[in-house]
Amino acid sequence: MITYDAIVVGSGITGGWAAKELTEKGLRTLMIERGRDVVHRTDYITEHKPSWELPLRDARLSVGTKGAEEYPIQARTGQFRESNKHFFIKDKKNPYIEDKPFTWIQGDQVGGKSLIWGRQVYRWSDLDFEANLRDGHGVDWPIRYADIAPWYSYVERFIGVSGEKLGLTQLPDGEFQPPMEMNAGEKLVKAGIERAFPDRHVTIGRVAILTQPLNGRLPCHYCGPCERGCSTGSYFSTQASTLPAARATQRLTVLPNSIVHSVIYDASTNRVTGVRVVDTVTKQTQEYRARVVFLCASTLATTRLLLNSTSPRFPNGLANSSGVLGHYLMDHHFLAGAGGSIEGLLDHYYQGNRPNGIYVPRFRNLGDDASRRDYVRGFGYQGGAGRQGWGRGGGERGFGVELKRKLHDPGQWSMGMTGFGECLPREDNYVELSDQKDEFGIPLLKIHCTWGDNELAMRKDMAASAGEMLEAAGCKNVHTYDAYRGSGQLGAEPGFAIHEMGTARMGRDPKTSVLNAYNQAHDVPNLFVTDGACMASSSCVNPSITYMALTARACDHAVEELKRGNL
Amino acid sequence: MEHDDLITRREALSRVAILLGGAISAPTLAGALDAATRRAWTTPSRDWAPRTLDAGQLELVATMADHIVPQTDTPGARAAGVHRFVDTLLSDHYPTPERDRFVAGLADVDARARSGHGKTFVECTADQQVALLTELDEAAFPAVRIDSPRTSDTWFFRRMKELTLVGYYTSQVGATQELHPSPFGAYRGDIPYGSVGRAWS
Ligand SMILES: Cc1cc2nc3c(=O)[nH]c(=O)nc-3n(C[C@H](O)[C@H](O)[C@H](O)COP(=O)(O)OP(=O)(O)OC[C@H]3O[C@@H](n4cnc5c(N)ncnc54)[C@H](O)[C@@H]3O)c2cc1C
Ligand code: SF4
Repeated sequence: MITYDAIVVGSGITGGWAAKELTEKGLRTLMIERGRDVVHRTDYITEHKPSWELPLRDARLSVGTKGAEEYPIQARTGQFRESNKHFFIKDKKNPYIEDKPFTWIQGDQVGGKSLIWGRQVYRWSDLDFEANLRDGHGVDWPIRYADIAPWYSYVERFIGVSGEKLGLTQLPDGEFQPPMEMNAGEKLVKAGIERAFPDRHVTIGRVAILTQPLNGRLPCHYCGPCERGCSTGSYFSTQASTLPAARATQRLTVLPNSIVHSVIYDASTNRVTGVRVVDTVTKQTQEYRARVVFLCASTLATTRLLLNSTSPRFPNGLANSSGVLGHYLMDHHFLAGAGGSIEGLLDHYYQGNRPNGIYVPRFRNLGDDASRRDYVRGFGYQGGAGRQGWGRGGGERGFGVELKRKLHDPGQWSMGMTGFGECLPREDNYVELSDQKDEFGIPLLKIHCTWGDNELAMRKDMAASAGEMLEAAGCKNVHTYDAYRGSGQLGAEPGFAIHEMGTARMGRDPKTSVLNAYNQAHDVPNLFVTDGACMASSSCVNPSITYMALTARACDHAVEELKRGNL
Repeated sequence: MEHDDLITRREALSRVAILLGGAISAPTLAGALDAATRRAWTTPSRDWAPRTLDAGQLELVATMADHIVPQTDTPGARAAGVHRFVDTLLSDHYPTPERDRFVAGLADVDARARSGHGKTFVECTADQQVALLTELDEAAFPAVRIDSPRTSDTWFFRRMKELTLVGYYTSQVGATQELHPSPFGAYRGDIPYGSVGRAWS
């Protein structure tokens, strides 16, 4: 039996952070990852490949296409392409059961989804941390903005975030590198929106992408498709950022190709003692021991693991005396917004593939005039402007020399915006274990999740307000859209925003929550959950930087408690 | 824009939404290519052979594609190897029913040529070919928008046109001679179009 100080399950955004913090604080740490190893630079096999060297020219591998046969779920997202399919999980080998459609997008390698994420990072504010208390949905967060603010700063300084300070209470500023530039179309639309709606702002996206060097990582060179990996380490990933830091301590051991089957619990001490691991190649089982265990396997994988860790003390899943484990699943609801064309500016263009867009911070339900009665909480928009490329030729009449001449120049400008809306925590959105098992002997997760009335009411406003803003900015041919096709249909189904969170929520009361204010299980002191499973509400901003800040904060607490002999 | 007809709105939107800046054509760094790679593409290896299309169908695709994107001061679709790209997609990407539908569309083009001119499309004169393609193009993209379901032959021509554009503008010829890749380096959000003079590929 091999014993470590700490075990971290998962090597994605949160696992990488836990490994860095725990090793830097002196703990000999084992990071266990079910997927294969991915070596920084070496394994970015499609990076900078010109289109003609990709046989399918980087086709989107949609459901039904030959390249997507092993990936019937991952293929639902437009992010899944010829050039990056090797960074997504093979669904055929890792099935789950959807009651109604719930699209579960997963990375399955060292680095997890940090290699393919969209890198948008926004702080939460007290508008978010107080929301449950204020309107009664979900349980009150056991922390407030002041508790996490220094940890946001700590994380931002390490990962590198570029963005613009706005001085808004609902979207606190952070430690920013210089922002990326907007293009001419975006500047025009921004001016128009801000003139018509003084309470609404258009800013460049805040992204975990460098515009200045940081810790040996280089600023972005605007090649474009980040999701293939970045050899200059310009965007935050485990490989570029947290893993080298953890390795530098010489206290880290990484164990790829090893799926954690369950967490081992000792009732006599009321502590977890380690984990049971199946080697994904040999199918051999092995146990590893540690004094503290961090679950960072991503929201639903972590909850699956807890549900599968049963004992006489915890027959319904580890640390589940409250019975809420698995419940209150959330995602953001998105793909409701508007698009339009921008007239003129034909003598304006841009250079470089900027891996970022614009952001419109939440302006609804801030407790002021803009408040709405038909739903609670709010949404922000992400979007961008650009000039049409050669692809427009496929939608119009004409061919031959004339078409070729036309496509020599870029087309007109257009602008699009899609809302990302907050989702309420509801008990009846939940996951459970089914009686079928995968090849590693782990029961399949069964997911039950639908949008409720609040989300559906908010979507109407997400589309209408976007349309209204683009009209006010002088856009033409403005059309609003909502990709949701109804419960049970694919379109904008839960999971599709890839911000799944909740199911092992934090809270003040051990009877109604799984984790305390430090992401520590109420029931089992040396067990921590710091990925999205911990979330008690969802805010409307992209969640991962909050997971990172919570992880760093929890590591700090865990090490202090270890030192005090409390774990 | 997505490049097989799976340009559904959902996908177009999700790309905007998730903010991956790159367009469909993977941004390229022409300078990074070694000479061997360039040669390998421009002169396809001798043993390249189509896997879905037969020789006649391949020639039909090449001929149509070259009318859609002809040679000007830069090479056209045939020289860019669009027909080879189409065969690759049909072989390695398309679901079988869609592949069969495309191949049936090719047969339909020849049937039209035969009924109009008593010859296959490839045997027709260039003017006859252009006239046939114009008919297909006008049917596929009516001047007045009609919301009736598209018939199968308009599906075929739309697809053929789209594949030609994708195959051409993502080829080395299309991406670096006809258009040009945005260079790596700084991002400039607002530059005079005149300083660039053609679209980024
Ligand atoms: C296309 C895309 C765009 C996104 N854009 C954004 C964005 O702009 N902003 C944002 O904030 N978020 C974004 N996200 C979401 C973001 O990627 C996730 O929130 C984040 O990666 C979660 O971190 P994590 O550590 O919990 O999980 P992951 O990064 O997924 O890592 C979990 C790791 O655990 C491993 N694992 C799972 N189960 C086990 C097990 N039983 N044993 C061992 N290992 C296991 C997995 O293989 C994986 O490597 C995006 C995601 C995608 C896919
Ligand atoms: S666009 Fe920038 S961050 Fe993205 S892969 Fe290229 S250099 Fe890296």
